[in-house]
Amino acid sequence: MARSSTENMITLMSSDGEEFMVTEKVARECTTIRNMLEDDCVITNIPLPNVTSDILSMVIEYCMEHVAAAEKAAAETAEKGSSSAPAAAKANKDLEEWDKAFMNVDVYTLCDLILAANYLNVSGLLDLTIQTAANLIKGKSPEQIRKTFHIQNDLSLEEEEKIRSQTPWAFEKSE
Amino acid sequence: MLFFLLTFLSFSFFFYQDLISNSNLIKAKFLNSSMSTKKKWVNNRVENVDESAECPILDLPELTLELILSKLPPEGLCAMAGACTELRAKCRSDYLWERHLREKWGQVVGPAAKREWKSYLASKKTFELSSFGGGLGRQRKWISCVWPFSWIRSRIGTTDKAKGIVPDDSVMSWYLSLESGKFWFPAQVYNREHGHVGFMLSCYDAEVSYDRHSGTFNARYPPHGRRTIVQEEGVSWERVRAPPVGTPAHDLHSSDCLKDLQPGDHIEIQWRRNTDFPYGWWYGVVGHLESCDGNAHFCRCHLSDTVVLEFNQYTVGSRWRQTTICRKSHREKGNETDGFYGGVRRLQGNDEIAKWRQLWPLDILE
Repeated sequence: MARSSTENMITLMSSDGEEFMVTEKVARECTTIRNMLEDDCVITNIPLPNVTSDILSMVIEYCMEHVAAAEKAAAETAEKGSSSAPAAAKANKDLEEWDKAFMNVDVYTLCDLILAANYLNVSGLLDLTIQTAANLIKGKSPEQIRKTFHIQNDLSLEEEEKIRSQTPWAFEKSE
Repeated sequence: MLFFLLTFLSFSFFFYQDLISNSNLIKAKFLNSSMSTKKKWVNNRVENVDESAECPILDLPELTLELILSKLPPEGLCAMAGACTELRAKCRSDYLWERHLREKWGQVVGPAAKREWKSYLASKKTFELSSFGGGLGRQRKWISCVWPFSWIRSRIGTTDKAKGIVPDDSVMSWYLSLESGKFWFPAQVYNREHGHVGFMLSCYDAEVSYDRHSGTFNARYPPHGRRTIVQEEGVSWERVRAPPVGTPAHDLHSSDCLKDLQPGDHIEIQWRRNTDFPYGWWYGVVGHLESCDGNAHFCRCHLSDTVVLEFNQYTVGSRWRQTTICRKSHREKGNETDGFYGGVRRLQGNDEIAKWRQLWPLDILE
């Protein structure tokens, strides 16, 4: 842990004024922040007016986990000279499991995370959240989709029937 | 006279009111959309206080919502389109459906099928307009005395559009027509009639439609002379292809590869039993002349005016196993006994060659 004391620390400030101290390495997982750091290398305090504290803490948690996993893999490769395939596969699987558990959130949090990942440009988190949202839609009927995402149905019965009759095969599985 | 004027005025008023209410509608819509953008911003900054009132997915920026939709399979997009009007509009985007169209239908649907689809749409539109006009004919004629006809026409257009769920010329509509099997499109079928021995290693033009229950195609072959149209069911995906060239089944393909043909080249050649029949494309390879032993150092076959074509699926000695064509002047050659050999195309890609190899018969043909 001697390394981290010499590492630059960055303060990220959420929209509601909460401050988060993270290592530069973790902060750099966000492309938006990485670009800021590259433009101005002495910057240490970054306000993020589009992200609330609880969402920001989740984004940081995600970045820390992924940085740690990458560091662990790099350390193992350095130790053994080459990475062993089974160990790397296991590490990948562990990280996937972690991602899966991390995505166990309600749709509001999920959508806020999509917004934050998009704004901060964390490509891994954006892919993960987008895929999670898509998985929530797959295999569902329009009614189930409305319920999941709290969508108001503003289609008339006639319009609904028309969609149904034009794509009956699309509704077979969900019925 | 007074009566006429009054009628005119009341009509104008009626249409004016209609116009006003329309523009109000547009205004309301505009307000709504600007409101929702505002809401979006608030939503981003402040925690969701009243969760039940918000629809989180519709508040996402356009591009991120598009990312989600682009991960959905066609069924998912259709179900999503049935959720509300906003999603209905978004889920129809050509951008989203183009990938699905390419992935599922790219191999079997070519420019000819697309043309067929366009003309099908055009005929449908004419039909709809005339049937709509039929019911309204008298009224329209009457109104047109006092109102410019073009305006009425455009109004008809908008109501039609508002009523139709899938806009006709969208990629989604094209995809759904293919999937539903209602639309027959031009394609080519390998080893027609369930690999009938008389058609082994050939590919014939047909009209096909998809049967999504069995996941196979129905094919209709153009009649051979006085024969009736042959239908075939259960044609598997790997036996269907988009026509690689635009030459129709009854037309002679003009060969543009003759001067380059050399032994070892893979080709397809048009062949028909007699001049009334449609052509099929037959697979073959360019062979060596009888005078050549095939030794690469001495072979001059590529310089000869005679090109040997071999059809090795047939047994040695079969009259179908080999033919020769003239490199300089070949257009069509043959007779009523051996049939007629037409245009040649040289196969360029390994995929096309691998396809023929895959269809190779288990037994050698007599």
